[in-house]
Amino acid sequence: MFWTDILAFARGPFFRVALWVFVGGMAYRLVRIIFLGWPADKVPRRGSKLWGALKSFLKGILVWPFIPWVKNTFNCNPVVYLAGGLFHLGLFVILILGTAHMLVWKSLLGFGWKTLPFPIVDWMAAITIAAIVILFINRLIHPVLKLISGPGEWLNLLFVFLPMVSGYVMAHHLWFRYEVIFSIHMIAVNILMIWIPFSRISHFMFYFFSKAIHGADFGKRAVEP
Amino acid sequence: MEKQIVLNTFLKETGGHIAAQLEACTRCGMCAEACHFYQATGNPEFSPVWKIELLKRAYEQRFTLAGKIRLAVGLAKPISEEEISHFSKIVYEACTMCNKCSMVCPMGIQLGPLIHEVRQGLSNAGVVPAELLAAVNQQVEEGSPLGVTDAVYKSRLEWVADEWEVALPQDVKGADTLVVFSSIELMKFPENIAAIAKILHAAGEKWTLSSQAREVVNFGFYEGNPERTIMFLKRIFDGAGDLGVRKIVVTECGHAYDALRWTSYNLMAVPQGIEITHIVGLVGDYVRTGRITLKKGAHNDGRITFHDACKIQRRGGHIKEPREILNVLAPDSFAEMSPSREQAICCGGGGGVIAIKDADSNRYAAFELKVDQLRRVGAKTVVMSCSNCRLQFTDCVQHFNLDIKVAGLCQMVADALEK
Ligand code: HEM
Ligand code: SF4
Ligand code: SF4
Repeated sequence: MFWTDILAFARGPFFRVALWVFVGGMAYRLVRIIFLGWPADKVPRRGSKLWGALKSFLKGILVWPFIPWVKNTFNCNPVVYLAGGLFHLGLFVILILGTAHMLVWKSLLGFGWKTLPFPIVDWMAAITIAAIVILFINRLIHPVLKLISGPGEWLNLLFVFLPMVSGYVMAHHLWFRYEVIFSIHMIAVNILMIWIPFSRISHFMFYFFSKAIHGADFGKRAVEP
Repeated sequence: MEKQIVLNTFLKETGGHIAAQLEACTRCGMCAEACHFYQATGNPEFSPVWKIELLKRAYEQRFTLAGKIRLAVGLAKPISEEEISHFSKIVYEACTMCNKCSMVCPMGIQLGPLIHEVRQGLSNAGVVPAELLAAVNQQVEEGSPLGVTDAVYKSRLEWVADEWEVALPQDVKGADTLVVFSSIELMKFPENIAAIAKILHAAGEKWTLSSQAREVVNFGFYEGNPERTIMFLKRIFDGAGDLGVRKIVVTECGHAYDALRWTSYNLMAVPQGIEITHIVGLVGDYVRTGRITLKKGAHNDGRITFHDACKIQRRGGHIKEPREILNVLAPDSFAEMSPSREQAICCGGGGGVIAIKDADSNRYAAFELKVDQLRRVGAKTVVMSCSNCRLQFTDCVQHFNLDIKVAGLCQMVADALEK
């Protein structure tokens, strides 16, 4: 009965605590940034800031997950471009369009939606895991990435890797008893949720700030962002 | 001591605007390949994200909970005095603040302006390359980093007026437009001054020069020093105020345009009702509205291409005007380099880099990317709208022994004016 108890804990109180740390932590960081003060921009504009910001988001989203259209970006960074893009694509597909995760959303939000067939989600998961491994190797060998990576960057990859792999193993009923692997998956998810507010994975929130700043800065000069 | 000043500057300058961008960085490293200095040398310390390392660390360790904890348990490295001098060489000698990196960054972080903040911290602490500082001091004392004193200014203009037979109206009260040249034009490209004067006359502009506002270059801005940036800007605004002009025209200098047009308003009280524009914007308007007409196809000397200056095109927005002009002057022989326009590769000489001897190897290495671009487009002539770029091009064309003519856009326009 040992694992059943652990599973109950990981899905119950631990999950709720992790969720609150995640929500509370991100809210704290959001509020802090907003209250750090934003001096008004008094420069007369040549073009529209709003339009620039809009274009900047569209250019980041329409072609490939979040990576902007600039000549040679792909040629210069094929690994990050492909592996990073596939990783995010996979992540969002699994989290939103996987049946099991949709049911979690349903229990939290009260409504559900249509999901993708299992084989598609399953392949996405495999690709996502491979992408994380590739990003990890790339970070190990690329001179710039080596220079700019601290403990936080390695932990980021570890903490997104664990829920992915445990989820995959669980979905394929490999090696472990169901309660065991489900417990591991839930613990890994909880750790990730707790980790996010303390790490750079919180970029998904600041993305909206920095992309808007970029677009506005180019827009006001009447330059394509 | 220096460390403390740098830290204090960073803490004072970091508001939500900067913090949000520092927080957004995912450490993906994509910006590295956008930077001509990294591309040319492969030195990981030249990656844009590394150039803001000090700012980022100061922010994390002083503002964020996670950063404070990491510092306390020894997981984060505090900023040291040695690092401050080390980074001074990187941010002054291997960055032109061209901001190309911000276009490639998937998060859209404005790395150029953030690197400017780093320079500000270093400059407050006085950790600035000696040659750059010498030029700044010369501008404080003589009014120009190139030794253009009042006397030199006067005699030089007299000579230009004589040599090219142009009128150079000075200190005309009630003129519409104040034109401010850079000392680079005055000393190195005097034909540019004559060219601009000819264009303004042809357009019937009521313009003037000012003996008070006689230097548009702002070495305080290169240095990142707010007091000196403001001091040099104020000389221009005071001159404009005394003459009562409605418009200030920045001539062929990019950094000066960035300082005057896009930065001054957030730094100081700028006199109301004065429009600031760049000569390329003005000439573009003349051509569009027919205030001047140009001989079609005046350029017939083989393939010609345009070099976009970071601060006039990407950061200034005057991207269409040069194309419109060149499509009149060289409809058949004009071709774009790749990449161009807002995505153009910087010449490698801006941001004060060309003023620092120790940066020469970086500067030449970066220019090799330009050589490659010029070769691919098969250019016989390369034209540009910034004299600082032109200084770099002229020097590098010699250094690399290229058979390419370096030209200024205003000069081409002046030569093609329909009488
Ligand atoms: C609006 C949402 C998001 C945007 C715009 C975004 C964008 C990016 C970008 C541009 C990168 C760098 C390039 C790359 O490796 O692909 C990145 C890296 C990363 N993202 Fe996201 N992301 C978002 C959401 C998320 C979420 C929800 C997670 C995880 C739970 C996540 C985890 C990561 C990780 C771990 C990396 C680092 C990869 C590495 O170390 O190489 N991202 N993100
Ligand atoms: S602003 Fe230009 S020179 Fe400076 S780091 Fe960015 S790309 Fe390199
Ligand atoms: S490209 Fe942007 S997000 Fe990536 S490391 Fe450079 S600054 Fe950070």
